[in-house]
Amino acid sequence: MNALSTLPNLTDTQIIEAAQRRGEPGWLVLRREAAWKAFVEAVPPIWRRTDLSKFQPDRIIAPEAPSATRLTWDESLAAQGVIFMPLVEAAKSDDPIVRDRFGTAIDAHSHKFNALHAALWQDGAFLYVPKHVAAEAPFVASFGLNADGVSFAHNLVVLEEGSSASFVEEYSSADVNGQAFSNPATELFVGAGALLRYVVVQSWGAGVYHIGAQRVIAGRDATVEWVSANLGGKLQHVEAEIALTESGSRVEWQGVTFATNKQSLLTAPVLRHVGTNTESHLEFKTVVADDGYSSFDGLIKIEKDSKGTATRLEEHALHLGGKGRTDSIPGLKIDTNDVARAGHASTSGEIDEEQLFYMRARGISRAEAIHMIVMGFFDPVLERIPSEDVRGRVTAAIEAKL
Amino acid sequence: MNTELVITDLHANVADKEILKGVNLTVKPGTVHAIMGPNGSGKSTLAYTLAGHPGYQVTGGEAWYQGQNILELAPDERAKLGLFLAFQYPVAIPGVTVANFLRAAVNAQRAEEGKDPKQTAMPMAQFRKELREKLTELEVDESFVRRYLNDGFSGGEKKRIEILQMSMLKPSMAILDETDSGLDIDALRIVSQGVNRLAEQNGEMGALVITHYQRLLNYIKPHFVSVMMDGRIVREGGAELALELEEKGYDWIREEVAAR
Repeated sequence: MNALSTLPNLTDTQIIEAAQRRGEPGWLVLRREAAWKAFVEAVPPIWRRTDLSKFQPDRIIAPEAPSATRLTWDESLAAQGVIFMPLVEAAKSDDPIVRDRFGTAIDAHSHKFNALHAALWQDGAFLYVPKHVAAEAPFVASFGLNADGVSFAHNLVVLEEGSSASFVEEYSSADVNGQAFSNPATELFVGAGALLRYVVVQSWGAGVYHIGAQRVIAGRDATVEWVSANLGGKLQHVEAEIALTESGSRVEWQGVTFATNKQSLLTAPVLRHVGTNTESHLEFKTVVADDGYSSFDGLIKIEKDSKGTATRLEEHALHLGGKGRTDSIPGLKIDTNDVARAGHASTSGEIDEEQLFYMRARGISRAEAIHMIVMGFFDPVLERIPSEDVRGRVTAAIEAKL
Repeated sequence: MNTELVITDLHANVADKEILKGVNLTVKPGTVHAIMGPNGSGKSTLAYTLAGHPGYQVTGGEAWYQGQNILELAPDERAKLGLFLAFQYPVAIPGVTVANFLRAAVNAQRAEEGKDPKQTAMPMAQFRKELREKLTELEVDESFVRRYLNDGFSGGEKKRIEILQMSMLKPSMAILDETDSGLDIDALRIVSQGVNRLAEQNGEMGALVITHYQRLLNYIKPHFVSVMMDGRIVREGGAELALELEEKGYDWIREEVAAR
């Protein structure tokens, strides 16, 4: 049996029994049960910039077991104590790290979709990097859709003090006739002085609703380099957050979004400066064409006890004609008097005719010139992807849309 | 096939204002033809119009090259016929490196209809070799090719990269629009040598050299000099005309034209 039932027919008993059959520890079974209760009781969220009017939650079929997690890594690192395995397996072995961290970064009860995720997740990876271990090769977790067109992936990443690693999360599929649903969550803990490179690539096929959450907790003097590529699916609603909780932590956070063909792709980054002398730089680049819609609903919070914060937010949008739209709602909330720097820059425009003419005067066709300008627009972000393979796949996914 | 560029009674508007008011000009293969004239006489408009800038509306006349009225062609089709414009103000293309841009341009010009572009593309090794040679000739540091095209380049660097592009694309008809502006004497020498070298290598190349000053013509010797004023060619001569203009300015021609 691979599926439980559709959401309207699903019961807490089914969820509990399935978890027990899989051999999950008691604490996890209880979490699922509580999350399901929260899901049933919660009213659907009303999101201003995510239109769920055509979304049919009743057609979602709850999975019974993991099906589509593919993990790629340098297995020789296991000798240094590095763990990279399906999260459900790690949970079954009752690893205390999993038990202590799971569900602590993302609140399962914050809204209906997070609750649904916490009740039903099956796929996903657990990455653990011990103190002072530097992992060179990236850890790649790739996700697809199961036979019922759903994916519930939960990733848990723990980097201990002084370690470094690259974690790559990729979602991809063929185009889907009708509706498919992806509901992931990723929790990442970056220890003191550790370096995390985090890459998320969303390149689902047409028809997929991708509604999920990502949250990074950065410790003292930790560095996070985060790249998001939002390319596929019918609709994306991702709530991404990083909390710079301890002094000296910093994040370099970049994103590319390319919305075409009636896609609606929302990124809602939240950056919380909590510790002292924390630094952030956000750079998001968006291209829209046809009837594509992209929104950037960002918030930078500089909290009361945060001193000496430096932050800079850059957003740039390029319109390739048609009826494509972008919304940008950057917010800055400062609750302290001691801010080192806070800057914001934003541009939005169409392809520059002077650039096009210059390129065409060299023999390059209009179509190829546009192609090159778009790839060039994304290039400063793409070149930060730490794996050449992944960069190649992202580039190909963008080129396929041009 | 006629490898002369023959411009007949060319009229063009910029923002509905007539700038070119009937230009007649023939550029012969294997010759350097200088266009001189005071500011605002329409020299750069002529260059942009020949290259096909969408902001310049042709309202009359023809420009024949290689058996076609190029005014009816898209800018990239003109380039594929061998026409090259060295811009007065080269445009920055952030995110596209000099090397990638050059490769795209070289391969676009080698592409043939009905053939796989991979087949017609210049082999990578040959491209690298040629690029390295041209960089050395133009005294451009190799690190430049990995930079984004014209992005943050100085005026002189941009002009050198224009000539680098020209050297790689090997046009049969080159239009140089005020290439000397903003160049110091060293850069002027290097850029001019680049143009002269290309002319030597391809004895059939025609060059239309647009300049306000005679200075550039000390380095690139013209066979013909035409003077443009108020949207028309008003006087033609040999290299000596440039020297005369240097000495006497443009007023005497203006008076002559007025007296006609």
